Amino acid sequence: MNTPLNRRRFLRSSTALIALPFLESLGFRRFASAAPMVARPKRLIFLAFGWGVTRETWFPDVKQTSADYEIPQGLAPLARHKKDITIVQNTSNKFSNEAHWGSTFWLTGANRYAEPGQSFHNSISADQVAARQLGRETRFASLQLGTPDAKEQGHGPGLSLAWDERGKPLAGYDTPIMTFHRLFSAENTPLAQRQRMIEEKRSVLDALSKDLNRVKRSLSKDDTDKLDEYAQSIRDIEMRLGKDEQWLAMPKPKTLLHEPKAELAGRDEINLMYDLMIAAMQTDTTRVMSYRQPVNTLLKDIGVPYTGHDLSHYERSQGDRMEFSQKRDEAQSKLLAGFLDKLKATKEADGTSLFDNAVLAFGSNISSVHFLNNCPTVLAGGGAGIKLGQHLVLSKDTPLCNVWLTLLNGLGVKAERHGDSTGVVKELIA
Amino acid sequence: MTLTVLTTVLSFSVLTLAAGAAVPPAKLDEKQRTFFKDYCVECHNAEKLKGKLRLDDIPFALETVERADRWQKILNQINSGEMPPEDAKQPDTKAKTDFLEALSQTLVTARRTLGDSGGKIVVRRLNRREYRNTIRDLLGVDIDVSDLPPDSGNGTFDTVGSSLFMSSDQVEQYLALGRRALDDAFTLHAAGTRPLKIHTELEKVAEVQLRGGLDYLTKKIEPYHQWTAAVDAASTKPENSAKAAEIHALDEVSKEPQRFYRHWADLKGAPSPVNFGFKDPAEGEGVKQYFDESSANVAKYFALPHVDTGSYLFVFIVRPQESVVAPKDWPPGQYTLRVRMAALEDTPAERHFIEVGHPTQPGAFDIFSAHQITGSIEQPQTIEIPVTLTSTGSRTFAIREKRQNSREQEVAIAVLYRNKHKTWYPPAMWIDWMELEGPRNEDAPQSKAAELFLEKSADLSEHDHGRQIIERFVTRAFRGSKPEDRFIESLEQIFDHRRSEGGTFESALKEALSVALAAPGFLYLSEPTQPGKPRKLTNAELATRLSYFLWSAPHDAQLRNADLTQPDVLVREVDRMIASPKSREFVAGFVHQWLGLDRLDFFQFNKQMFPQFDDSAKMAVRHEVFETFSHLLSTNGSLTRLLKTDQVVINGLLANLYGIEGVTGDAFRPVSLPANSPRGGLLGMAAIMAMGSNGERTSPIERGAWVLRKLLHDPPPPAPPNVPQLSRLADKPLSPRERILAHQEEPQCLQCHRKIDPIGFGLENFNAIGLWRTTERYTKASGGRKDWPIDPSGAFHKGPVFRDYFELRDHLAAKADQFARGFSEALIEYALGRPFSFRDEPLATEMVRRASEKDLAVREYILALITSREFQSK
Repeated sequence: MNTPLNRRRFLRSSTALIALPFLESLGFRRFASAAPMVARPKRLIFLAFGWGVTRETWFPDVKQTSADYEIPQGLAPLARHKKDITIVQNTSNKFSNEAHWGSTFWLTGANRYAEPGQSFHNSISADQVAARQLGRETRFASLQLGTPDAKEQGHGPGLSLAWDERGKPLAGYDTPIMTFHRLFSAENTPLAQRQRMIEEKRSVLDALSKDLNRVKRSLSKDDTDKLDEYAQSIRDIEMRLGKDEQWLAMPKPKTLLHEPKAELAGRDEINLMYDLMIAAMQTDTTRVMSYRQPVNTLLKDIGVPYTGHDLSHYERSQGDRMEFSQKRDEAQSKLLAGFLDKLKATKEADGTSLFDNAVLAFGSNISSVHFLNNCPTVLAGGGAGIKLGQHLVLSKDTPLCNVWLTLLNGLGVKAERHGDSTGVVKELIA
Repeated sequence: MTLTVLTTVLSFSVLTLAAGAAVPPAKLDEKQRTFFKDYCVECHNAEKLKGKLRLDDIPFALETVERADRWQKILNQINSGEMPPEDAKQPDTKAKTDFLEALSQTLVTARRTLGDSGGKIVVRRLNRREYRNTIRDLLGVDIDVSDLPPDSGNGTFDTVGSSLFMSSDQVEQYLALGRRALDDAFTLHAAGTRPLKIHTELEKVAEVQLRGGLDYLTKKIEPYHQWTAAVDAASTKPENSAKAAEIHALDEVSKEPQRFYRHWADLKGAPSPVNFGFKDPAEGEGVKQYFDESSANVAKYFALPHVDTGSYLFVFIVRPQESVVAPKDWPPGQYTLRVRMAALEDTPAERHFIEVGHPTQPGAFDIFSAHQITGSIEQPQTIEIPVTLTSTGSRTFAIREKRQNSREQEVAIAVLYRNKHKTWYPPAMWIDWMELEGPRNEDAPQSKAAELFLEKSADLSEHDHGRQIIERFVTRAFRGSKPEDRFIESLEQIFDHRRSEGGTFESALKEALSVALAAPGFLYLSEPTQPGKPRKLTNAELATRLSYFLWSAPHDAQLRNADLTQPDVLVREVDRMIASPKSREFVAGFVHQWLGLDRLDFFQFNKQMFPQFDDSAKMAVRHEVFETFSHLLSTNGSLTRLLKTDQVVINGLLANLYGIEGVTGDAFRPVSLPANSPRGGLLGMAAIMAMGSNGERTSPIERGAWVLRKLLHDPPPPAPPNVPQLSRLADKPLSPRERILAHQEEPQCLQCHRKIDPIGFGLENFNAIGLWRTTERYTKASGGRKDWPIDPSGAFHKGPVFRDYFELRDHLAAKADQFARGFSEALIEYALGRPFSFRDEPLATEMVRRASEKDLAVREYILALITSREFQSK
C-alpha cells in the first residue's frame, strides 16, 4: 500500500488481467471471510445490449450446428473462446411485441397486458429468481448495473434488467463511479461507531414505519399498492442492516480500484463495469449480476456517427450504416472477449477460475431492426454445467425462458418454470 | 379480489358511469369478416384445423386479455409474412392493408380498454421535480436531485403514480438528500442576511495572468535556446563547416530554417536535444512555435485599446473565458452574477453572445444561460444573471463567447482562421468587470431557514425546545396532514440519542429532521379514502392538488387559506397561480412531456454541419416552445395558435438563428411575422423540427408520426415486430423520398406509413435543425455529391392534397378540434396523475366544448378541468 497508485494507472491498464492480481497482493480481501465460504460459489451474470445486432453477420450459419461451425464476423473477437461459449438460435419471448424494448421482458418473458386494469405488467426476472437463493450469503443479494438514458440504448422501460417478485422494477447503478462508491468506498469508521450507526439506522427505520402505518391506515386497501413498495424498501434496508451487522468485524472489501473518472464513456465505461463485476465476485460481494449496457456512448467512442436506434435500421441505410452496425457488433464482442479473459484469469481460492464457476448470458430481446424473434444469445461459463462450444439451432420460437430455466436449474436454483417457459433446453445439458 | 375491494370498484364505477357511457369492448369491424374468412378461416376451421389452430370460433369483440392475445398472434403472423402461406391464395394489397390497419387499431383500443385504470387516482410519491421544489419551498435551498432514479421513460407523464416506484436505495437517498438540504439550510441561516460580494476588474486579472503566462513560457523555452545555441556553436567549428553548409542548402531548411537543428546528429560535437529535456527536435520546435505565437499574441493584446480598463474575450487563444469563484465559506443559495460588457464595432452580430456556466473540461462548459451583448465600448452594458450556488456543485461561474461546446471545435475555429487569415481570430467582445453577489433574498430563503429555529424562551428546556422545532417542522413538511405523536416521539428519541452521544444541538436536530424528509407523509401525495366511499376533497387536499398541478410544488398560505369551494375564489386563485413565476414548472414539466421534447437530447447534432446549433442555441429553441406556451397561458390565447399564427415568441439569440431582423436582447417577446414566413406555430419551431432528425439528416417518418400523435391526436400503433425487410433496396442509391416510398409497397408497412410519410415529406423544407431549405444534399459513401430539390407536395391519407408546407399547415390548422382533444387528454393525465381513462371521455369532451366557446383559449381547459368532479373528488 505504500506505493501510491494513481488512478490513471489503473484506468489506463483497465484490464483486470494486470490490475487484479496486483490488487490481491495488496490486500484485496474477501469480504465475507467471516462466514466460511462455500468452496466454489456459483454465480450468474446477464449482459444486455438493447438494440440488437446485424442479423446477416452476427449469427452463425444455421446449417453449421454443434461444435462444427464457423465463427461469424460479428462474433469474430470471441474466436479464442470458441470452445467456451455456446450460441443459441431461434429463441424468443412469445408475448413481446414492443419493437423498441430490448430489455424490459428479456429476463422475464412476461405478457405486458396480462393484468386487466393496467397498461403495463411485468413479472420476476431470472436473475432475481436466482438471487433469492444465491444471494442469501452475500452482502448484496444481487447487483444491477446500467447506463444513463436506458431508453435511448434500446432497453425499454425498467430501472435495470431486474424485476422483483411483484413485477416491479429494481433500480441499479448507472455509472462506474456510483457502483464503485456503493461497493468499495472506504470505511474508516471504528467498529463501535459502526455498530452504533446500525442501531441508529434501525431507529430511523422504526420512525419511518410508524409514519407509514399512519398513512396506510387512512387509505382503503386497494389504494395501498404504492405504499407496499415503501414497506418493502424498509424491509430491504433492514435486511441489509442485518447483513452489515453480521459482517461488522470484517473490513469492507478493500480495493485499489480508485474512484473512476466521471466522464468515462464508451469502451472505457463498459470495461470498467466489467472490472467492477470481477472485483465484486472476487470479494464475494454478490453472486448475481446484471448489466444494461450503453450503446450510444460506445458508438461515439468507436467513431460511429449514428445513434443506436438509427443504426439498428441499417437495412434502409444510405450505404454505410450496415458497416457501422457490424463495427458495433465487433466492438461489443471484443469487450465481451476481454471480460471472458479476465474471468478465466481470475482464480478462486481452490485454484479454479471465476469462469469455471459462473454462468453468463449476453444478448437482447431485440434481434435486429424490429425483430423480436431469434433473440441473439451467447452463453458462457462453467457455473451451470451447460454444454459449451456449440452452436445450437433450436426449433423456431423456443421460449427464451427455457434457456433461463436451464441456467437456473444448472446453478442448483429450484424453479419448475420461469416466465413462459415450457421446459428446459435438453441440448444445453451436458 | 376481496368483497370490499369489489364494492369499492363497483360503486365508484356506477358513480362515474352516471356521467359517461359504459366502456364498450374493442371490436374488429364486421367489414373485415370477409377477409378473415377468405384468408384465415379457410384453413383454420373446425374441419381442416391446419396447424392444429382453429379460428372460426374467435369472436370479433376483444373482451378479455386472452382474446386480445389471440388476435395479437394473428396480427403478428400476418405482419411477419408467415400467413397466409406462400402456396395459399393471396389477398390483394389494398384488402390486406386495410385488414392490418383495422386489426392494429382494434388491438390498440383493446389494450387501452382492458388496461384502463377505471379512473382511480392512487397514492403517489413526489417525482424528482416536485421533490426538489418541495424541499426548496420548505427550506429555501436548491439540491441536486440527479442521483434519484429518473421518473420518465415509461411513456407516461412523470406525475403518473403507477409509474413512480420506490426502492430501498431510493429511501436511503432521500435520507441523505434530506440531510444535505438541512445542512445547507443551517449554513444559510448561519450566514445571516449580510450580502457577500466579489468584484473583479478584468484588466488586472489579464495583466497578471498574461504576463505570468509569458514568464512561464520564457522559462520553458530557455532550454531550447540553449540547445540551439550549442548546435550553432558546433556548426561553426571548422570540421563541421562543410556539413553545415550542406544542411543549410537542404530544401526543407531553406524553407523552414528551424529545421536545421533536426540534423544536429550530423554535426560533430553537437549535443542531443534529449540533454535539454526534449525527446526530439520536433518537440522543441513545437514549444518554440507555441512560445513565439503566444508572446506575439500577448504583445498584440497589450497593444489593443481599452486593455487598461477591461479585457477581451477570445476563442481558444489569449483569454478564452473569464470567471469568478465563490469562496468556500459562502453559503449555498441564489446569487447574482453581474458582467459589464461591450460588443466590438465591426464584428459580426452573431458573435455578440456570451454563455454562462461552470467550466467542466478544457473547452467545455456546463451551460445554464446565454445572453446577447448590445453595449458598446463607449456605453457598456451591465447584465445581471441569476445563478445558483450549491454545496455539492462547482463554485466557478464563467462566461465565454457562445460556441460549440468542445475543445476540438474551438481549436478548429481559432486554427482555421489563423491559417486562412495569417492572424489571430479576433475578439468580438470586451469586458469591463465581473462580480458575484448574494445570496439573494427575494424568496426570503434565510427566513425559511430561520423558521426552523424557534426562539428559545427562557423557561424552555433544551429538550422541549428541540421537540417544539421538530413538531413544527414535521407539520409543515407534511403539508397539512397531521403527524402522529408516536412519530414525533421517535424523532425526539433520535434527537435525544444524538445529544447524549455528544452531538451538538444542531447536528442532533438535523439528524431527527432528515428522517421526516424520507417519511411517507412528506414523500407521498395521499388523500385518505374509505372503502366504497368516493368523496369530495377537503379544501386543503384540493389546494395540494392544485399546487402540484400548476406549480409542481406545495401550496402557499394564501391558497391554503382560500375558500376553494367558492367558484370565483377558485378562479381567482388559479389566475394568481398562473401569473406566479412558479407556474413555469407546470409549463416546462407539462409541455416538455406532452410534446415529447426529450427527443431533442437523444443525439448529438453534427457540429461541422451545424456550427450555429450549439448548446446555447439548443437551449433557446427548447425555451421557445415553453415561452410560446407561457405567452398563450398568460394572455389566455387560443390553442390554435400552436398550429398556425402570425407571430413568434423569441429573443435575440433565436432571431439571429432564424434570420429575423430587429429583435435583440435576452427577453422572449411576441414578434410579428411577415405573411410568407414558415414560422409561427409548433411546426415552425426549430425544436420541433430538430426532434424529427437524427442530428444530421431529417427523418420524415419521425416528423410524420409526431404530427399524427401530437397535432392530429391519431397516434399510429407501435411499430410492429418481425416485419420482413425489403432486401432488394440494399445498396441502391435512392433519394430519401424514394427509399421511404419503397416502404409503402408491403401492406405491413403501408398500413401506417400511408398516413405517416406524406406529412413527413411535407415538412422536408426544414433541415435537421429546423432551418428552411429548398434542396437536400446527399454525400455518397464513395465520395461525390448529389443535390435533390425538395418536393414537399403530397396528400393526407384519404384526405386533401397539399402543394407545399404552407398548405399542409393550413390543413392541420383546420383540424384544431383534434388537437384540442389530444391536449385535453394530456392535461387530464398530467393533472390527475394517472393514465387517461375511458371514463374521462365526457370530461375531455366538456373541456373542449367549454374552450371552444372562447376560441379554444388555453386557460379554459385548465378551468374546466379544475372545476370538474374528477379533479375535485377522491
